[in-house]
Amino acid sequence: MNHNDLLHTRSFKILLTVCAAMLCLMLFTAGFGGEAPSNLLSFFSTPMQRVGTLVTTNAAVAARDASTSKEELMEENAQLRQQIAELQSQLVDYYDLKKENAQLYKYLDMKELNPDFQLVSASVIGRDPNRFYTFTIDRGTAAGVSVNDPVVTDEGVVGWVSSANSISAEVTTILSPDTRMGGFAETGGTDKVVGESGVISTDIKLADQGLIKLGYLTADTQAKAGDIVVTSGLGSIYPQNLKIGVIESIGHEEYDVSLYALVRPFVDVTEVRDVMVITSFLGQGEAMTGSDTSSGASSGTTSGDSASSQETASGASSETASSASSSSSEDTP
Amino acid sequence: MNRYKGIRFFAYVLEILVLFMVQETPGLLPPILGARPVLLIPVALSIAFFETDLAAMAFGVLCGLFLDFGMGTAFGFHGLFLGVMCWLLGCLAAELIRTNLLTAILAGILGIFLLLSIQWFFCYLLYGYDYPGYAYVHHYLPRMGYTLIFMPITYYFNRALALFLRERD
Repeated sequence: MNHNDLLHTRSFKILLTVCAAMLCLMLFTAGFGGEAPSNLLSFFSTPMQRVGTLVTTNAAVAARDASTSKEELMEENAQLRQQIAELQSQLVDYYDLKKENAQLYKYLDMKELNPDFQLVSASVIGRDPNRFYTFTIDRGTAAGVSVNDPVVTDEGVVGWVSSANSISAEVTTILSPDTRMGGFAETGGTDKVVGESGVISTDIKLADQGLIKLGYLTADTQAKAGDIVVTSGLGSIYPQNLKIGVIESIGHEEYDVSLYALVRPFVDVTEVRDVMVITSFLGQGEAMTGSDTSSGASSGTTSGDSASSQETASGASSETASSASSSSSEDTP
Repeated sequence: MNRYKGIRFFAYVLEILVLFMVQETPGLLPPILGARPVLLIPVALSIAFFETDLAAMAFGVLCGLFLDFGMGTAFGFHGLFLGVMCWLLGCLAAELIRTNLLTAILAGILGIFLLLSIQWFFCYLLYGYDYPGYAYVHHYLPRMGYTLIFMPITYYFNRALALFLRERD
């Protein structure tokens, strides 16, 4: 068959029709969202993925227990003891400074600390090999999950819901270049917390090292390695004071005078299996001013505003988008 | 459609569903150089060797739609490209090239390279993310290599499936 014959076959005409249909489908889902086909495919794949994840998890636990030798267990035990000793010494210092708060953080779970949070627990059922640092959870709009909801564990922030259908949802993690949020570095002081606001973001090189960047710190920043970074609440996608990570180092931006901090997240988002979605919290959808986030922060107010304006300027994130879209205090993500 | 053809097609759909689950399930396939394989590409290409051009295109589109669903891209993106690739491969396998492991691997190299490069171009480069060259070398190339490992496996599996269910036609 020569190529002219091929172009006149019924098969080729059907191919062109299918191509046109795919293009229409692309335009439709790009314009109106792909919830209907997504629901259809979820209907088949999600139950299978749940079973697959359950089997894999149990098998992994069983294999790990069976394959660990006595020497390895003893070594692990020694490491853990050393770690406990180090943590205990750190805790003593911490108790001296903020005994009451430390006890609250240690003994109260997130729900008790934040009675306004509506939490939905979810399991990770899918990690697509084509996507960077995103995963699928087994809860969707039917469970109250909606786009832009923050996703956390008891250790800290994991990411945000980037799309949702009725029975599953996609979570874009803090290691994704799509994520930007207001961060607040809590610099330890003797009597009060001093803070530095900035914008949390990352790129693929940093993400491969498991790091994120707290950018747009002022040149006279007091943030330093070891400081804890929490959410600032600016943009109102994330509640305030959710733990994000710990600062590893401070560096100079290449093209301006501001500084940045490299932050190691508390949660290993590449391994996390169970998460909680915050479906509602006090202030959700309401753009907050810089002064709202700087209570008790001596130097945080100015830089907080700065961070907010940088987020607005970048216009690249969900949180940014919501900040940018609101000139008033009301904001819907 | 005769009965065995229907059974064969049903088996292909089940194979696609199961491999999609395997591909998506965290921890099931260990990452190599940080990459995990995209199993549905070799599956679609393998099926194309043993079916007519239209059936090959249909399974290519189905695999592409599952890829779109998993990746969260607009529905039809992978379906379009994988459908066209499988249709071409179906035509070539029927008219021009011999069906054996060597041609399957060559088709796999070309198909996987093309589809993942298209994906990198449209879903990474045009999105304006930083370090596209780094992403291509450190993420896309290992993924291509890892995916290609599965081409012989899916080829022999679908060959067995096609021959077993065709002998009774």
